[in-house]
Amino acid sequence: MNETVIRTEGLTKIFEQGKKREVVALNEVNIDVSRGEVVGLLGPNGAGKTTLIRVLIGLLTPTAGRAYVLGRDVTEEIDYIRERVALLPQEAGIYERLTARENIVYYGGMYGIPEEELQQRADRLLDIVGLREKEDYQVKGFSGGMKRKVLVARSLVSEPEIVFLDEPTTGVDTIGARVVRNLLKKLSSEQNRTIILTTHDLNEVAELCDRVGILNEGHLVAVGKPSDIEEQFKAANLEEVFVGLFTGEGVYEQ
Amino acid sequence: MSMLSRFMPDRKMKYLVKKELKSLFRSRWLIFGLIISPVFAWLFEGAFLSFVVAQTTSEPSRVFITLEDEGVWGQTLYDAIETDMDELLISELLSITKQEGDEMVANRTLSVWVRIPANFTQELEYNNVSTMVIWVNTGNFRATAAGNRVAGFAREVIDEIIVIRDLRVSWRTISPEATYGHSLAVFLVMIVSVMAPSPYIGQSFAGEREKHTLEALLVVPMSRVRILVAKLIAGLALTMVYSAFTVVGILLYNWSIIARAVGLPLAAMDYYINLYTVNIAAIPLIFFCQLLILLCAISIGIVISSAAKDQATAESLNNLVLLVPTMVIGILGFTGSILQYGGLFGIFVLAIPFSHAVLFLNGVLSGAATAASLMVNVAYMLGFAIVFLIIGAKLFEREAIIV
Ligand SMILES: Nc1ncnc2c1ncn2[C@@H]1O[C@H](COP(=O)(O)OP(=O)(O)OP(=O)(O)O)[C@@H](O)[C@H]1O
Ligand SMILES: [Mg+2]
Repeated sequence: MNETVIRTEGLTKIFEQGKKREVVALNEVNIDVSRGEVVGLLGPNGAGKTTLIRVLIGLLTPTAGRAYVLGRDVTEEIDYIRERVALLPQEAGIYERLTARENIVYYGGMYGIPEEELQQRADRLLDIVGLREKEDYQVKGFSGGMKRKVLVARSLVSEPEIVFLDEPTTGVDTIGARVVRNLLKKLSSEQNRTIILTTHDLNEVAELCDRVGILNEGHLVAVGKPSDIEEQFKAANLEEVFVGLFTGEGVYEQ
Repeated sequence: MSMLSRFMPDRKMKYLVKKELKSLFRSRWLIFGLIISPVFAWLFEGAFLSFVVAQTTSEPSRVFITLEDEGVWGQTLYDAIETDMDELLISELLSITKQEGDEMVANRTLSVWVRIPANFTQELEYNNVSTMVIWVNTGNFRATAAGNRVAGFAREVIDEIIVIRDLRVSWRTISPEATYGHSLAVFLVMIVSVMAPSPYIGQSFAGEREKHTLEALLVVPMSRVRILVAKLIAGLALTMVYSAFTVVGILLYNWSIIARAVGLPLAAMDYYINLYTVNIAAIPLIFFCQLLILLCAISIGIVISSAAKDQATAESLNNLVLLVPTMVIGILGFTGSILQYGGLFGIFVLAIPFSHAVLFLNGVLSGAATAASLMVNVAYMLGFAIVFLIIGAKLFEREAIIV
């Protein structure tokens, strides 16, 4: 089945339009994502990855073009969409004075999940990210990576149909990142959930993503399976594609 | 969806309120401040007024008196005051002429001057009403207290002798809306209440932006208005701690005044206790008024905090915006009525919601307010809070809130 769950048409976002500081963060972006796919958004800093996610979840309004999530226009039916998607923001903070469990449970509560169900989901998620023993500690004593794991768990507590993860594994140690990746893989393969993630880790992309979209200065310069893109750019791996695209050293001949 | 149901609390909101309160109640210093500030303010007030009681009683005052009346009532009153000098805590009663008195008024060297005018008896006999004049220097605690004692006493003297006749006292001073004790109490309640929610609001709005927790909060399936209302509920719940300890503070304050006054002669004791203690029956109204002050302060705070980028900026802006008008009202309160000015300044004073809190509290504490005037004060404060909350919600809904 190939149900499209995300679709953008000429999606454009311009910040500070008409001013000297004007930035075209998204420039006519067209992308389709099917249910159950894991899509990695790649690109250098400032390429527009976070902006794309923010538009799709209704935090930013598009300047031009359209964006549909689960078949609904993000500017019109954001309430419907928000019930069914979740976000892990890039620089997400955490409520330091709450415990790991409370962070997860209270967040889920705001999605309207019943208390008992919430506690069970929290149990499961805390087990998966390996923080069950520390669940009743206030998060303020946690390391950066531990906090990030709590946040990953939190973003999944509502069991969203689509989850947007903006650099989920940044700061998480090797084993932790593996755990997160395995969890995401399972969510996609076993539960058919759609995952949109951004990362700067190309190995992660190769391991996890069904498809990647490469953004540069607001343009979606390439989109497809990692192997197809490597072929398209006549590169041995994604890193070479990157070097070619962003340093001009390589084999950019499209 | 109806207007009201957009704001009605639901289960999702409950979790947000819980999250806010848990975070807050684990901020020990914040809670400590909410407990200590009202108790400290009222204890300070108690100590200060105990000092005033001591000042106005331990050293009796000098009172000037002029008897112009040639009839029987003037003489009776004069004699009664003279006989009861000790009860009235008057050390010296000096008879002066009207001309001497007027000179002292002009030179401001006078503290209390009681004048029984020429046709005092005649007026009392023909009209059943007569007026004596008391000048007091309001800058002097002792003078005000002595003047009050003489006036109350004189009324007793005249009313005891001829029940149907009425003594009026013409006060020659700026007539204060309330006594010193009340002005100070009101001022303290105000200033502490206005400042109390500031740290919470700073943490709950600008703090969420600064710590990057807001973005995830804004994508939950709850409207921004509901998020705002949940935070407002949490803020009000939190300030209940503050209000509860205000009641504790008031009780401690009353106790400190009574403890000081019990050593005085009976009449003086009654006088001071009545003058300075807060009537227990007024506590629920004080509580209510404080809630309105807190609501206004929170709504102003939400607007500032939704506009400011970080918690420190929000808090300092908030303090500035709240402190200046409160100080203005406070200072006006000590120089007489806060309604003493007309024109633009008068309008400015009336536009400050906290002015209405002062009017409300003064009215309640002095017993002088009418139901209608209290309603106007309450309506103004509620209206003010609602308008500011709407502005806050608009600011909260703008896109730039996440950056
Ligand atoms: N709120 C904003 N106001 C003005 N400019 C913005 C705003 N948000 C993003 N930008 C600009 O838009 C561009 C894209 O930013 P974005 O955060 O989407 O990049 P990114 O691909 O996520 O980068 P990174 O890898 O560093 O996270 C940048 O030039 C950024 O400066
Ligand atoms: Mg980003």
